[in-house]
Amino acid sequence: MVATAHIGRVSWSEPAAASQRVPPVPAKLRPVTELTELIERCKAGDNSAFREVFCTNREAVARLAQRMTGRPGDLEDLVQEVFLQVYRSIKDFRGQSRFSTWLYRITVNVVLMQRRAARSRPVLQEAADETFGADARDLPDDQVARARRVAAFYRLLDRLSDKKRAVFVLHELEGLSPGEVAKVVSAPVLTVRTRLFYARRELLAMLRDEPALELVARELRLADSSEPLAEREST
Amino acid sequence: MSLERRPEEQALDRLILELREQPAPELDWQRMEARLMREPKPEPSRAGLGWLRRLRLPTAGLLAAATVVAAVVVEHRPTAVPAKLSAKASPLRMFRSVSGEPLNGDQLALGTHVTAGAQPLVVEHVGRARWTLEPHATATLTNSGEFLTLRLDSGALSAAVVPNPKPETFAVEVGGTRVAVHGTAFRVERSADRVLVSVSEGTVAVEPTGTHAAPSFLLRRDSRGSFGLDGHTGSVEGNASAVVSDSASQSHREIAPNTLKGAPRAALRAAHAANHAGSAASASAAPVAVPAPAPTPASSGPALPLQPSISEIETGVSSALDLLNGCFRDQAHSTGIHVVASTGLTLHVTGEGMVQSVTFAPPLAPAVEDCAVNGLRDLTFARSTEGLTFTRVFELTR
Repeated sequence: MVATAHIGRVSWSEPAAASQRVPPVPAKLRPVTELTELIERCKAGDNSAFREVFCTNREAVARLAQRMTGRPGDLEDLVQEVFLQVYRSIKDFRGQSRFSTWLYRITVNVVLMQRRAARSRPVLQEAADETFGADARDLPDDQVARARRVAAFYRLLDRLSDKKRAVFVLHELEGLSPGEVAKVVSAPVLTVRTRLFYARRELLAMLRDEPALELVARELRLADSSEPLAEREST
Repeated sequence: MSLERRPEEQALDRLILELREQPAPELDWQRMEARLMREPKPEPSRAGLGWLRRLRLPTAGLLAAATVVAAVVVEHRPTAVPAKLSAKASPLRMFRSVSGEPLNGDQLALGTHVTAGAQPLVVEHVGRARWTLEPHATATLTNSGEFLTLRLDSGALSAAVVPNPKPETFAVEVGGTRVAVHGTAFRVERSADRVLVSVSEGTVAVEPTGTHAAPSFLLRRDSRGSFGLDGHTGSVEGNASAVVSDSASQSHREIAPNTLKGAPRAALRAAHAANHAGSAASASAAPVAVPAPAPTPASSGPALPLQPSISEIETGVSSALDLLNGCFRDQAHSTGIHVVASTGLTLHVTGEGMVQSVTFAPPLAPAVEDCAVNGLRDLTFARSTEGLTFTRVFELTR
């Protein structure tokens, strides 16, 4: 059955002819085939397919956008803009890379454009410590501490250059391989590795200046120094 | 040689792990989906603008030069800082308003940021609303079409909205607070953590954004209020009231399913179609109130949406208002006096799209309520998995 979305309304047309249906495929291949089919339907202007793409990928896009920006404020606008771009440019998606890579590239570009635009605008007053949707007063102590650490870490990420932050987030937080990151940011793998190295080094240096995070390092140092003693005692 | 990682490195790894474990942010997916699916999403005309893209800098230069010339010729206040518009979807659409004339709001793309300079900036949606952005304030157009919504990012704006029988055709959102109006003149100001609303004419409902819950406050003429950014808390002065939900101030009616729906529902559809006939030119933007999809078994079709889309809800609301106005005119005794009644109508709609219960707060005359309940029984919304409950404040006149 084919859904045609008009403005604000979805109407249903007759099911596709049997001859047009995709023949059954081995279960192993189904996801890829289904995705390809979905993308083809999107390209043909099928709004229900676009809705499916949106529903399937929206959380991943929102998570990446949040990690890239570190601020929940403009997240909704960003995610919406990403999917508008997807809608407009899906015709250009040729399947040469994975769909997720293409989607990541759009997300990264939208976030970077927004950041550049934000830099050229006067800075608006911003909440000092946003805890990403959770009201810290309602959380147990350890979760409050964790929320603060996360917020502090986002502040550090924010101090990295756009290029370094992008590769760091994609590799360390999203789990993409350097090769995949290279495709997303359109840079050679070696460049990605270099940016990763320097991003990590800068973050390590910044850790010392961030009180909320220095505490973590201090705890670990203490744990390190007490471990051998404990081992000795147990033997 | 020891290959052990330093504590700082371990700390960094631990923080990375913590960040990885953070859940995906919870956004208002339904609203976003409704916007995305409702938006025509026009393809930027790349063929026509391709050369412009390649010549972005020279074009910007020419544009700037043209603006300077225009400013010299037209500008009556040379010291004024010009207003700025930027449409996110199209970075090329950066231009300046130098003539002092109101901007045509109907030409603003969805998502356009509007920033006033040192002078107030007036935006007019012809025949519907005129809003003025005070100096250095910023607002974003978040919903266009029949129901205008602005997000006030900073500063203050005042608006004069042409009375419209449809409720809440104009709304301003500030953080989590929504200020929704009928035919009204009002002002909204955003401070760091408060929303200040003053009403000079008509009625304004203040409610949380993103929900269809009952409004928290009703402000009438010559009243003002200060509200939190959550839309729930605040204080009011003058002719204003906090909306209460105790049973004494409202009338709740359960609606039994109607077994003879054909004729009345058809009549309602016909009435609704007639109601929209005047706006036939924008028929594509005016969704039908009672979608009549072919009855398909739930298992054969795709998954239903969690709730009907915003357009479907608002169109249903319009039908409910038509009905309620009709009942108010027909059932109330004519005394030759112009009467205005205001009530908050809460509808509980089942997943099948049928109205299950109705609440009037404050109650209307029993005869008017009976008439409305009879009509609402035949009102249907689009099917959804969860159904929905929403409240709208109506002003009825006769």
